[in-house]
Amino acid sequence: MIVLRAEDVWKRYDDTIVLRGVSLNLKKGETKVIMGPSGAGKTTFLKCLNLLVKPDKGRIWIDGEEITSPKADITRLRQKIGFVFQELNLFHHLTAIGNVMIGLTKVKGMSKSDALKKAKETLKRVHIEEELWRKYPAQLSGGQKQRVAIARALAMDPIVMLYDEPTSALDPGLSSEVLLVIKELSERGITSLIVTHELGFAYEVADEIVVMNRGRIIGGGSPEELRNAKNDEVRNLLNKWNGLKDGVLV
Amino acid sequence: MGSRMEFWSEYLSSLLMGFLTTSELVAISAPLGIILGIALGASRVYGGIILGSFARGFSALFRGFPLIVTLFLVFFGLPEIGIYLPPVTSAILSFSLCSGAYISEYVRGAIMSIDQGQSLAAKAIGMTKLQEVLYIILPQAIRRAIYGISNEIVYMIQYSSLAFAIGVQEMYSVARTYNSLYFKSLEIFSLLAVIYLVLTALTTLFFKGLIRKLEIPSKAE
Repeated sequence: MIVLRAEDVWKRYDDTIVLRGVSLNLKKGETKVIMGPSGAGKTTFLKCLNLLVKPDKGRIWIDGEEITSPKADITRLRQKIGFVFQELNLFHHLTAIGNVMIGLTKVKGMSKSDALKKAKETLKRVHIEEELWRKYPAQLSGGQKQRVAIARALAMDPIVMLYDEPTSALDPGLSSEVLLVIKELSERGITSLIVTHELGFAYEVADEIVVMNRGRIIGGGSPEELRNAKNDEVRNLLNKWNGLKDGVLV
Repeated sequence: MGSRMEFWSEYLSSLLMGFLTTSELVAISAPLGIILGIALGASRVYGGIILGSFARGFSALFRGFPLIVTLFLVFFGLPEIGIYLPPVTSAILSFSLCSGAYISEYVRGAIMSIDQGQSLAAKAIGMTKLQEVLYIILPQAIRRAIYGISNEIVYMIQYSSLAFAIGVQEMYSVARTYNSLYFKSLEIFSLLAVIYLVLTALTTLFFKGLIRKLEIPSKAE
């Protein structure tokens, strides 16, 4: 069953065409990774999927409902999509548990006690220890912040989680704790679309890897298929991420 | 000696009444000005063409001429179109409008300074624009604007003395009357100055406490 479908998505900023007809399907329980060099349009594409960025052309369906339709209830459909930003966008004025609760109380209309219970459960799921629950974002490490951000999105019970380079703002040491959480969630069947530069992680977690370059999808397949990619452009990019050029370590 | 005692006794009791009137003016005008300032500041950023233009015009208007002109317009001008307001009400209305216009500038600046990512994150969890503004942007913006707001309230205590011009018997008006009767300018105005100083110091302390209470912890504990 397809839970997320994007068809021929185009986006232009001034004179630069960022997306050139990107199409993608995501099945229930599937983990798909989007890889590509900087400026490939990965983040823009991800933000188009919940209309944080409005595409110029193309259609997107979430759980069978078209979010790009003029009649779409965008705020309701956005609740079906969990979004984790690369910029660690926690709400600065709220504690870790407050960050997770606010969507539950204000958007979902849950009572405070129910929201608190759910927030605690979700924070445990992403391995945020109890002593950190009342800390403010500025008092948390980058990895902890990103795990709280994952909990905030996850608590809304989305049908799909979108991760936009969730470790790019973190030190390598802190990345692993975030990647571990994403991997655990993915293994538990949470449908995920992940933009990342971590090739090793992508190979480990993805059912399918999609490679983007210059605003379009240039290839893709299972990690195994990608390792043996025939397409030169894809192979060169993968070699680059592997630290290889024409088979030689650079 | 007796007349000196009599003067001080009369002056102090009149000044106490004036103090209560000044306190009433500020205690009512300050929250009204703050609420108006927040509403105008938010409207200027999020109000679209109609509400945004109204808020911009309002702010430009009431920051564009002296408070005394506003006081006269409200107290002497409005009766000409059939609206009669008592002196204290006129003063409260004028102070609220004026401080609201200035506070809106602080609030607008604070809203604009909030990182765009906060707004995106609010949208991403399904918040409407109103929810985003009420629960995410304003709580952070008000914390940033509060320094300017506290300054504005301290000014308000001082410019509340202008209410004498429309016949409000506040502290300055009392002191002015006693000075014209007894010509003891140094004593009369020194005491008045001390009371204003204490009032502004207490207000500053109150806001310092509030700022501390609202402060978002920024270091690891």
